[in-house]
Amino acid sequence: MQAPELKSIEAALARLMPPAMSEQGRISIESMIDELAGEAAPVKPVGIGFVKAITGIAALVALVAAVTLFRDETAPALATTDPETSPAILELVGESDRIESLEDEGWFADPDGGAMHAVRIRMIEENSLRDPETGIVMQIREPREEMLLMPVSAF
Amino acid sequence: MNDPANEWKSWLAENGPRLLLFARGWSQSRHDAEDLVQEAILRLWNHQSPAKSGPPDLPLVFSTIRFCGLNHHRSETRRRKREESVLYFNDFQDVWLDPLLEEDEEALILRRAVQELSPKLREVIVMKVWGGLTFQQISETLAVSPNTAASRYRYGLEQLAQEMRRVKEARHASA
Repeated sequence: MQAPELKSIEAALARLMPPAMSEQGRISIESMIDELAGEAAPVKPVGIGFVKAITGIAALVALVAAVTLFRDETAPALATTDPETSPAILELVGESDRIESLEDEGWFADPDGGAMHAVRIRMIEENSLRDPETGIVMQIREPREEMLLMPVSAF
Repeated sequence: MNDPANEWKSWLAENGPRLLLFARGWSQSRHDAEDLVQEAILRLWNHQSPAKSGPPDLPLVFSTIRFCGLNHHRSETRRRKREESVLYFNDFQDVWLDPLLEEDEEALILRRAVQELSPKLREVIVMKVWGGLTFQQISETLAVSPNTAASRYRYGLEQLAQEMRRVKEARHASA
């Protein structure tokens, strides 16, 4: 094939422009960057479990709020507490992290071209929380999924 | 003041479209491609330690998108096997290259031809033309030799040229 023809194809390609990201996509990524930049602690490598961890924390906060509201409604005028001076509402009495299932995901190529063996792990984290005032023990289960990538050094 | 978040946002504004185009080759839809870009940026943020260094170089980003795309492709294949009965609507607005800027016949044929290139050829074309990468950088991204990258690029251009000739001849014959 003639070089001028290829040159003209290159020129035509250069005139085609990739579409911009959608507004929603751009906002989503920028929000993520803001969240990542806002983290004070050194950033740990996080993967797909990041969103699930956030969900778990949100669920815990919602649970604490619900328990607090419920207590306020059922025993309104017996006692008032100053939230700044009162001790922690719930105390952790037990925690466990167990593997629910393992699934072989086969091999992947990493960005450097090396072979990686992938294993999908489904884990369940269970935390038991006790309300010191009522003695109620609550159990919070947080399932999560992780992908473990192991370099393959021998075939 | 060097604000990492603003630095990364500026970088995204400049490079987002070309990353999206590359990710499109690994995705079923534009929305999936944006998710892929986001996942790659998350991985790169953690990899780059942004407090010390700025946004990553493009070859590394392309490479990370490709890696994420490979992972998604595998899980998507498994999911599709499970959900074979699901019907997908065709999104007529979901085009890979912007149709608004070039609406002449040649551009339309070329746009379709790029989409129909084999993935191996298309990713080299995308990285070279719209990513602005050198063959050396492309070879590092794809873990192939620079000669292979250059060959794929030339072969891809030849296929595009052939397809354009074929479509034009067919149109003239039917006119």
